[in-house]
Amino acid sequence: MIDNTEELIRRLTADAKPVRPLDRPHTRAALWLVLSIAYIVLMISLNPARHDVSSKLRENSFIFEQAAALATGIAAALAAFASVIPGYSRRWLTLPLLPLAVWLGSLGPGCFQEVAHFGMGGLPLEHNPWCAPFIVLFGSIPAVAMALMLRRGAPLTPRATAVLGGLAAAGLANAGVRVIHPEDVSVMLLVWHIGSVMALSAIAGGAGRYLFNWRSIIRISQ
Amino acid sequence: MDDPFSELMQAAQTGDAAAYAQLLNEITPRLRLIVRAQRRFLQTEDLEDLVQDVLLSVHAVRATYDSRRPFIPWLLAITRNRLADGARRYARSAAHEVHVESLDVTFADNPANTNMDTYGDVHQLKEAIAALPPMQREAIQMLKLGEMSLKEAAHTGKTTEGALKVATHRAMAALRKMLVKKNDR
Repeated sequence: MIDNTEELIRRLTADAKPVRPLDRPHTRAALWLVLSIAYIVLMISLNPARHDVSSKLRENSFIFEQAAALATGIAAALAAFASVIPGYSRRWLTLPLLPLAVWLGSLGPGCFQEVAHFGMGGLPLEHNPWCAPFIVLFGSIPAVAMALMLRRGAPLTPRATAVLGGLAAAGLANAGVRVIHPEDVSVMLLVWHIGSVMALSAIAGGAGRYLFNWRSIIRISQ
Repeated sequence: MDDPFSELMQAAQTGDAAAYAQLLNEITPRLRLIVRAQRRFLQTEDLEDLVQDVLLSVHAVRATYDSRRPFIPWLLAITRNRLADGARRYARSAAHEVHVESLDVTFADNPANTNMDTYGDVHQLKEAIAALPPMQREAIQMLKLGEMSLKEAAHTGKTTEGALKVATHRAMAALRKMLVKKNDR
């Protein structure tokens, strides 16, 4: 058996090709953000913006909510890229929790006002059926780019990595979709927009072990 | 340089085969110690399998090493992860194995011969037992053929009861696979 290990080392080192060390997580996250934001801006430009976009961009609550969604996406991207580097603390995985809580909290006052105004039974929950598909469309390229970049790392926490990658892509996509979809009812945003982001993150998490696993990474390296 | 491993890994990342071989040869005994300390109940060949798993993983993700960070935490993170993966794999395979202590598998017992038709004759079974790795073969011979108790067998084989149980489980799974394969031909 010792012979086998020595043989393995001989085999691994005999054809050891040079490898380019991965950039640090924040550098990779920045690169991914540039690519993703460019794609989302392109998608926004290809779709008619909401009629009240200029007034919304002057509204503090809208800006705050969008900033929190973007911060969640950025924090999730950073955490995802840190999660595939051996030696980084597992605490990185919790990085998006705070901005996510702020994002959810930004909708809280609106939700309370709407419940007080309409009552639980009268909440206007009929939604534009296109919001979820648009989040998928806006998030598709960022998600693919994220998956490809994460596969260059070590699959230490496949499910958590995939959830974070999905949250990053869907969080950014949601911010883009808010610029073209005239929906402002907080309860609807909470259910359909944040709900879609969470559902997409959960689906990504389910695919985590298929996307990121040692077996395929070792096979590729052989 | 404070961290000689880091220096070797940096050279390995540039394609320096000699430095890479030196690095892997120097970390292998350390990996053996870590794996043995964490998995005392495993047999030598299984421990070595885990060490090889870690080496393959290190090779696969060597691009993730950042020379500005220390090498040992990087290596330990991979090792811990692969050990946990190995434990999950073992738990999954054990969940699909039949608990052998409750089965009659000796040739003398009639119930043991009820499924002989599916895998041929006793001669075939003896051949399959002979083809097992030494530890597994001894476990089967002592516990199933010799009808020794776990305690007696552990004493005779100078091993632990846990290791014997593991060896017996694996031997039964291997025998089942070998005999089914022979019959499929």
